[in-house]
Amino acid sequence: MGVSWSNNNRRRRRRNTYFHPHPHPPHLPPPYYYPPPLLPPPPQGYFITSTNPSASTSTTTSYVGPPPQYYPNGYTANSVMLHQQPLYANEGGSEIHASPPPYIDHQTTKKIRNDVNLHKHTLRLYVDTNNPDHHLISFDFDALYDGSITIFYLAKEEEKCRFIPLFPDMFEPITFPFQKGAGQKFCQPSGTGIDLGFFELDDLSRPSPGEDVFPLVICAETNSSVLGASPHMQITQAVLEKSNSIGPFQVKVVRQILWIDDVRYELRELYGIGSSETPDFDDNDLGKECVICMTELKDTAVLPCRHMCMCSECAKALRFQSNKCPICRQPIEELIEIKINNGNQ
Amino acid sequence: MANSNLPRRIIKETQRLLSEPAPGISASPSEDNMRYFNVMILGPTQSPYEGGVFKLELFLPEEYPMAAPKVRFLTKIYHPNIDKLGRICLDILKDKWSPALQIRTVLLSIQALLSAPNPDDPLSENIAKHWKTNEAEAVETAKEWTRLYASGA
Ligand SMILES: [Zn+2]
Ligand SMILES: [Zn+2]
Repeated sequence: MGVSWSNNNRRRRRRNTYFHPHPHPPHLPPPYYYPPPLLPPPPQGYFITSTNPSASTSTTTSYVGPPPQYYPNGYTANSVMLHQQPLYANEGGSEIHASPPPYIDHQTTKKIRNDVNLHKHTLRLYVDTNNPDHHLISFDFDALYDGSITIFYLAKEEEKCRFIPLFPDMFEPITFPFQKGAGQKFCQPSGTGIDLGFFELDDLSRPSPGEDVFPLVICAETNSSVLGASPHMQITQAVLEKSNSIGPFQVKVVRQILWIDDVRYELRELYGIGSSETPDFDDNDLGKECVICMTELKDTAVLPCRHMCMCSECAKALRFQSNKCPICRQPIEELIEIKINNGNQ
Repeated sequence: MANSNLPRRIIKETQRLLSEPAPGISASPSEDNMRYFNVMILGPTQSPYEGGVFKLELFLPEEYPMAAPKVRFLTKIYHPNIDKLGRICLDILKDKWSPALQIRTVLLSIQALLSAPNPDDPLSENIAKHWKTNEAEAVETAKEWTRLYASGA
């Protein structure tokens, strides 16, 4: 069908070059030179789409804060393996430790399989050719069971991972059933789209400050009637951007949430993990090395900023020093060690 | 001996500094102390320091990279953020230090500071005042000092 979304391929490639020596002389914002991408915004994604999902496994260890003065609110995070890719997930309800948390908190890794998965890199927003004021969405997804997809605009997250639209008059949430199957493509039918002209670009380009309202929310869930299977829900939250307020909308997925057995898991991508390397490094080692000792492999990510930049030894040492992320200088709340081994399992 | 347990990071940084020096910057470790570097920075073009060769010393303290390197100008320089003793007012050498920064990035920052003096955050009150009240004249003085003290001879 004559759908045009040709301009939407400007997918942002993650490049962990931020600690990389700049090869050129600085013609830089005065007065100081920083290695250019020293303060990158955290990436807007979550897990890396692996072409061979069964090839890697990960185990996760968390270090939960030492000197108590840094951590009035220690919290625990559940580690999740989804499609056995290295990533982490925070459970929604944070626990508050009554006493200072132990320095190293080894947490067991929990495997989570989600029954429905929207491939976030495939999400597109495009003009309905029969109805040029309106926009439709498309994406690829896999589903182990039959279920349905619901599209919301400017929807607020409520208790128990339910969503309500702030402006139901503008767009009533719309649900489409699907059948089980891998590698499916969802294309929203013509005539069911939204007229985004009613909304301010500013409101579409970012979530609410508390990250409870997102411009675009897609909820994919499996049917609860399947025998023995608990309903699984995957929520994809995105913002809609226009470069310089013109041109087509670009969809940027900010977060995905899994809602399984009444537990909420938030998925975000780790920034700086090995497989995201780009070949244009002049020294490939640098992408994998711990930025502190420049010797060991990076295996520890900083939370909440998600910079995977250190080895676990240096990470531990850093906690007693500055306790700030070496890459972005945000305070470290938690460190997560991620071991990736390529084998069967 | 003192160099025998030099962290691998320092060895690597040194190797990279020598094999791929940044434009306008040279840094080489002293023979008897691998934590002490002799540094030269060329005055950036379009700055009052153009044409000058500025000598600095850089020392990596025991805590490096958890602590910033110590850097000082040895060549006299007329600059609002550098004092008589050659000490440099640069945030990444103080509270904004990050262990992800390196010798190279520090030296590039100093080079950039020469291109962009910042009299609002001065180390030398007098020079800063001069810069703010009569920039053209301050720049002339900086050029003069460059000729006098940094001619590279
Ligand atoms: Zn390390
Ligand atoms: Zn960070």
